[in-house]
Amino acid sequence: MREVRRLLPPLDIISAPTSMQRLKDRGFSRAMERVLGMDPRDIIAEVKASGIKGRGGAAFPTGFKWESVYEAPGGNRYVVMNADESELGTFKDRALLEYDPLGPLVGMLIAAHAVGAKKAYCYIRGEYRPIERQMVNALQTLADCGWVGPHAVEVEVRRGAGAYIAGEETALLNSIEGKRAEPRVKPPFPTSKGLWGDPTLIQNVETLANVTLLFAHDVEWFRQCGSPQTPGTKLVSLSGHVKNPGVYEVPFGFPMADIIADPELGGGITGSGRLRAILLGGAAGTFLSPDQISATVLDYGSLGTFDASIGSGAIMVFDDSVDLSWVLRKLAHFFADESCGQCVPCRIGTRRIVEMLAQGGLYSRVQDLRDLAQAMRDASICGLGQTAPTALLSILDRPNWQGA
Amino acid sequence: MDTEKPAVMAEVFSILKDIPQDRSQLLVALWLVFEHYQRFRPEIVDAVSQYMNIPYAEVYGVTSFYALFHNPDGKNPLHVCTDVMCALQGADDLVKKLQALTQRSTVCVKECPCLGQCDAAPAAFFGKQVLRRATPDLIAQAIRGEDHA
Repeated sequence: MREVRRLLPPLDIISAPTSMQRLKDRGFSRAMERVLGMDPRDIIAEVKASGIKGRGGAAFPTGFKWESVYEAPGGNRYVVMNADESELGTFKDRALLEYDPLGPLVGMLIAAHAVGAKKAYCYIRGEYRPIERQMVNALQTLADCGWVGPHAVEVEVRRGAGAYIAGEETALLNSIEGKRAEPRVKPPFPTSKGLWGDPTLIQNVETLANVTLLFAHDVEWFRQCGSPQTPGTKLVSLSGHVKNPGVYEVPFGFPMADIIADPELGGGITGSGRLRAILLGGAAGTFLSPDQISATVLDYGSLGTFDASIGSGAIMVFDDSVDLSWVLRKLAHFFADESCGQCVPCRIGTRRIVEMLAQGGLYSRVQDLRDLAQAMRDASICGLGQTAPTALLSILDRPNWQGA
Repeated sequence: MDTEKPAVMAEVFSILKDIPQDRSQLLVALWLVFEHYQRFRPEIVDAVSQYMNIPYAEVYGVTSFYALFHNPDGKNPLHVCTDVMCALQGADDLVKKLQALTQRSTVCVKECPCLGQCDAAPAAFFGKQVLRRATPDLIAQAIRGEDHA
């Protein structure tokens, strides 16, 4: 089994990515028309039946999230497409919005219809200016169809300005509201109290593209790919010491080793030619050794046996010339720079990790690092502080592993 | 300074004339103003605060939160990714070369976190352009292009 192109358009497609013809070629207009004739409860039931899980990293069941927003009391409702893709080693939303922007945008309109939102926001990171232009053009096409605008769903594109934390859903809400992009304490969750205190549905770009595919087809079609626990395909961002870095679409349950080695995918290890490790899921991801890579498939259950998760779908590949302590120091600096500083465990904790790694190396103060990591997990407001030590712990938990 | 201040105020008001005076439009407003001045001097923040009817401290708080708005010298920022994947592809060396090249220019080299271009590392970001597989030559071309635009 090789790459399956469902989210990504076929390689021989001719229509322009933002054109009306593309809407037809890809079945997106069929999806939209089908949804416009459906009752919101039926739409939500279909999303639930499909088994789509959020593709931003948390893998929360999408249909249940929609139901929460639909059932939450409140007047106005909002949908937000989170295109603030800033996770280390992650560029799949960029690829999706470049090659096929109408897919996720139609998914956003479907979501708005299901939860009863009249207003939607596309939040895109400020460093993706060419992609932002593509998105604006695609929205114009959707406006020409009558699906975007004052009498349908009003859509506003919001440009971030360089803040990793703004991708955290509640920080993103504050950013849209014109405040500092500092995360909010949860609960309440955005599904009940989001933008301006109203129920708000926030979804990753790739999740919404899956929704459009589902409604362009049906549940049975959607579940033909992937595993029973996690139906569908996943975009992975492959980078580092591989022959063919890039974005690939593979079904859930695909062997991890094949993503790296298959000639049609990663194409094998470059650099020294010998694999040391991958970092899976981004800066807050987990290192996997070659043995672990051979023993796992791309699915939550399989990766969970090594306390790993798919996260954003980033797969950073390192050959055996790379000192993993160097990678950990880079990650530590990243988190210390990107911590918003609002809560103490994260603001101080990310700094202390930088200092400890700089002073004595990884193994000089193992217990102190573990205690600090526990405090950050327990007491940080958001995922940044809670997961900043994850990659580090994944190395510490394997004391005999060469390379760090 | 005192003679400049009313001029800046008028200019900022003119830049923002189509922006509703609504808190949720603050980030949008700040982008417009930043693209004009390439920095946020106190009189610029003050003008935004007056126009948007939002306290100075809050406007300052938002401008200072975002990395792309941090540009105290007002030169054109050239962001070069020095995160893990780009560093493996020689980003640190690229930064040194670019710093030497831009020493007496209107461009300022800044190291930045992951730009989401890891499949074509090293990456850089200048104005509205993303530069993949960046080399000093490619970047110099982009800077010249941007200046002529």
